[in-house]
Amino acid sequence: MIATFKNMISACGSKASVMQSALLYACLAAVAQGLAYALVFPLFTALANGSTDVWWYVGAIILLIIADAYFRLGESKGGWEVYIEVADETRKNLGEQLKRMPLEKLARRQTGDLNSVLTGNVNDVVSIAGGLFGIVINTMIAPTVTVIATFFIDWRLAIAMMILFPVAIPMYRIIRSTAAEENKISAEAHADAASHIIEYTQGLSVLRATRQVGAQSQRLQASLARLRHAQTHGTKLMTMPTMLISALVQVGILAITALSIYLVLGDALGVASVLALIVITIRFSEPLAIFANLSAMFDFMETAIDRISELLAVKPLPTADKECVTSGFHVNFDNVTFSYDQNDEKVLKHVSLDIPERSLTALVGSSGSGKTTITKLLTRFADPQNGHITVGGADIRSLTQSELMSQFSVVFQDVYLFDDSIEENIRLAKPDATKEEITEAAMAANCHDFISALPKGYETGVGEIGGALSGGERQRISIARAILKDAPIVILDEPTSALDTESEVAVQKAIDTLVKDKTVIVIAHRLSTVVAADNIIVLESGEIVEQGRHTRLLEQDGRYAEMWQAQQADRHWQITSSH
Amino acid sequence: MQQDSGNPNPKEPGLWTIISPVNKEIYTGMAVSLLSLIAWLGSIMLFLPITETLMSDETNTGHLWFLLLISLALVILSLVCRAFSFRISHLGAFRLEQILRTELTSRLAKVPLGYVVNTGSGALKKIVLDDVRALHAFVADSTPLFAKTFSAPVLGIILMFILDWRLALISLALFPIGMIGMFFAFRDYETARKKVDDATENINSVINEYVQGMHVVRTFDDGSGSFERYHDALDQATKTVRDWTAKSQTGAFIARTLFAALPTVLVLLAVGVPMYQSGNLELPVLMMFLLIAPTVTESIVPIVWLQQLLVNAAAAVKRIGQLRNVKLIPETEDAKIPQDASVELKNVTFKYENREDNALTDVSINIPAGQVTALVGASGAGKSTVAQLIPRFWDVNQGQLLVGGVDVKDMKSDELLKHVAFVFQSPFLLSDTIANNIRLGKPNATQEEVVAAAKAAQAHDFIMEELADGYDSVVGERGSSLSGGQRQRITIARAILQDAPIIVLDEATAFADPDNEAKIHRALAELAKGKTLIVVAHRLSTIVDAHQIVVLDKGQVVEAGDHQSLVERNGQYAKLWSHFDKAQGWGIRNQSTTNQSV
Repeated sequence: MIATFKNMISACGSKASVMQSALLYACLAAVAQGLAYALVFPLFTALANGSTDVWWYVGAIILLIIADAYFRLGESKGGWEVYIEVADETRKNLGEQLKRMPLEKLARRQTGDLNSVLTGNVNDVVSIAGGLFGIVINTMIAPTVTVIATFFIDWRLAIAMMILFPVAIPMYRIIRSTAAEENKISAEAHADAASHIIEYTQGLSVLRATRQVGAQSQRLQASLARLRHAQTHGTKLMTMPTMLISALVQVGILAITALSIYLVLGDALGVASVLALIVITIRFSEPLAIFANLSAMFDFMETAIDRISELLAVKPLPTADKECVTSGFHVNFDNVTFSYDQNDEKVLKHVSLDIPERSLTALVGSSGSGKTTITKLLTRFADPQNGHITVGGADIRSLTQSELMSQFSVVFQDVYLFDDSIEENIRLAKPDATKEEITEAAMAANCHDFISALPKGYETGVGEIGGALSGGERQRISIARAILKDAPIVILDEPTSALDTESEVAVQKAIDTLVKDKTVIVIAHRLSTVVAADNIIVLESGEIVEQGRHTRLLEQDGRYAEMWQAQQADRHWQITSSH
Repeated sequence: MQQDSGNPNPKEPGLWTIISPVNKEIYTGMAVSLLSLIAWLGSIMLFLPITETLMSDETNTGHLWFLLLISLALVILSLVCRAFSFRISHLGAFRLEQILRTELTSRLAKVPLGYVVNTGSGALKKIVLDDVRALHAFVADSTPLFAKTFSAPVLGIILMFILDWRLALISLALFPIGMIGMFFAFRDYETARKKVDDATENINSVINEYVQGMHVVRTFDDGSGSFERYHDALDQATKTVRDWTAKSQTGAFIARTLFAALPTVLVLLAVGVPMYQSGNLELPVLMMFLLIAPTVTESIVPIVWLQQLLVNAAAAVKRIGQLRNVKLIPETEDAKIPQDASVELKNVTFKYENREDNALTDVSINIPAGQVTALVGASGAGKSTVAQLIPRFWDVNQGQLLVGGVDVKDMKSDELLKHVAFVFQSPFLLSDTIANNIRLGKPNATQEEVVAAAKAAQAHDFIMEELADGYDSVVGERGSSLSGGQRQRITIARAILQDAPIIVLDEATAFADPDNEAKIHRALAELAKGKTLIVVAHRLSTIVDAHQIVVLDKGQVVEAGDHQSLVERNGQYAKLWSHFDKAQGWGIRNQSTTNQSV
């Protein structure tokens, strides 16, 4: 509990002091409440004796109730502040972290997973920190204060009450671990069902054809049945412990009552005290019984805090201290070896290559040969285990990320557009660009015409027209970005392979403009697009097997020649149904 | 409680209708929960005779212990009932989840396939899994609470009036004051709440976009640009929540304070003490009030929670209702069987439900059995729409679509899909063994048939050589352990095994690498042997030999014929062809270095 408490305070970041004062208010309120109930003892005794002190006690109870309300107001204000501001702050911290952490680490996490940390986990932490902790404090402190006050009335009763708490503790433990187990089982079953439902909807046309749908879909139905079984099992697991713990509390209360009656009968206690005791114990029985369920909520928070801290703990790639100035835009790999994990297979093995300024270099090879990894390392997706990469003579590790990225324009096969206007999407490459600059870039990228034809022109939101933009149009917008950025080195990752014939020509024209006078590195699947390259680097299993100009490589009659011939033959491939 | 709460639209089934399959559990759960409440109140009521006996000079203590024992029995009964009411309602809720999921997934098998494809598996998963789960919270947790929340005040008030009507009236005095507090707290609640919900929703979508775009943004700079967008959006949303809290905080606080136990205790003491002193009230009765009255006032609080649960469930109910309301593809009574493998579109006009323009206007295409027909045109021309109409993803608005001479509307959908196989661009694989993935095309296929299909699809070699367990290797999530080209060949093997006489092929636009591309082409050639093949073509080179090329533009057929005749016509196709030729010849910086190229 203490550890949970510490974790929670530190999760509150700059609002830790607000959280602490909210908790202090919660404690004070609980103490006031406990004392108010404890005063029922002397009050009842005074009433039974016809004493005139009665109104003193009533007055004191009124004051305590007002104090309780006042403290609770403080608690609730602080709680809300924590709830709102900590969520905001944590999300901003996480956002900062996302832009700092190595891209390779980022790429390993699924978007959905990251989303759930930034939305769900943050919510779990703040709603528990903001609200639930106060309830827990109240449940714990108010009865404790009452027990202490009871000592002044009758020590035997107080001891009887004190026995109740420790006995309940192991039960809380059991409930907590059972609940954790239930959560785990149910989370696994849900994940299983989710993937089967996705599978089912994706495969529906095949499944329909083979009549494996709805109740006949064995895989799906089995998964749904597994889910229900897991849920049922979990609920049955929880029934007994929950029932036992409330039984323990209730039976304990009755035992205390019985003890007090026994004392009354032996004339060791006044009847009025029994009446007061009944009122108090029954008031506190309900909160004590639900306490176990509340404690399970802490596991949620612990998990959430763990997942957030885990993400925040990822270290950014180090930037060397020494000042380094780039001169020129040539790129050099010196004996670079890289694997994703220390023990994994090496994706690049002792790769050395030289890319002179303004040259055109092509990376070719089958998928998994390492050609994409080369461009990723160059943009510092991750650092290689061995070797050096330099740009303009400077080790890329000595440049800050923005310095490094200002050297490159990257055009991918898949284009990501933000849900914003087309203009803003282009401007992303150069935040202070004027409207004219954007129009110029769009013209150069061969997309000005279709953008102007849209109802709102450059102001058109990408989201509004969504699917109305074709792949080629999206690609041209991304090239306009790259043109606007005007970086000295252009990296092209097979930008035309996923396009219709008609868009392809337009995109090709845009690329022609983009690569003028630049150092160009292109990943090519279709070899015919890079015959003019100054250097074609052929990769296989992470090693450079050949490099040189197109004609020389053909003469060598090696791997490149083999790929070239396969593609030339395939160019004349046609679909026919009669063989 | 029985009517469709909060749902004025009779077409959309309300919450209580949707959960009605498990009414048995719901009502049993409520009844048991009520029993638990009664037992608990009973056990408390026994404290009255107990304390009265203690106060009097009665000496028969055996009577006292007997009462205490009954009270204990009642408490235990109450606890057992409470645990079981929750257990019953939970098990009912789980049963409901399964019923609804089976119903919804069965329904998905009968709605237009196009709806499924367009909605996307992510959104459908959300409805079938998450929204159904949201209902669970309602059925499992709130139905027993419902019973308790509404009966506790009623039973409590009755008991109080039996004990002492004057004090009963006094302890109810706080009710109207609390109500006024609640009124202020929840005034404009709906609109404010909606704003907050929207803000929260906005936070989620901002986060989603930020996370998704991060990889791209990082290639421009260090991510500062999009971080600012993210930062601003968060500020905006946080401000909305902050304003809402500032406005509603005080009212809510007043309500919460008044409906807590202590103020009631206060009122009871203020009135009860003088009544006792003037001899108008017995001390045990005052004690009973101190026990019961706070329970009555406190029972208001769960009503607010329940309201929130209802609101949450309503959103889920709405989405489930929308899925349930999707029109089914009408199944014919008098089913016919296709006569051959021909396909014909007769004056087909088709419009997507949410669009204004026709996707296809008066399109007629005749596709004879055993021939290759290619559909070409710019994106948005309607070629994919034609392809989707053949396996009846959608129903045409006007005209007719005949498969084997029979209108697709006169066929059973599984019969149609046995005749038409659709090979998608993005391959779909089960997370199951390779063999089972291929066998999906023909569930009773033998291992030999599976292997033969894999061989024909050029997949056998990599299955045997590259995968540890050969045909028994399990495909990772979304086939991640296989390359794109390999996945495509597995789906082609499946289609070969399915052996449908008509194949609709949405040609892949991008291939992983040259080796794969050639193999996929060979696999497709095997698949097409002796079949009617309809290709949505993105690369014109592959369809030069097609028997028929249909050129679409803006939803209409503008030209049709074989390659030679279309080129000679010098129309749209000829233009596309010259584009294609140009694209094929393109290379980066080709012009400047022509002397060095081949």
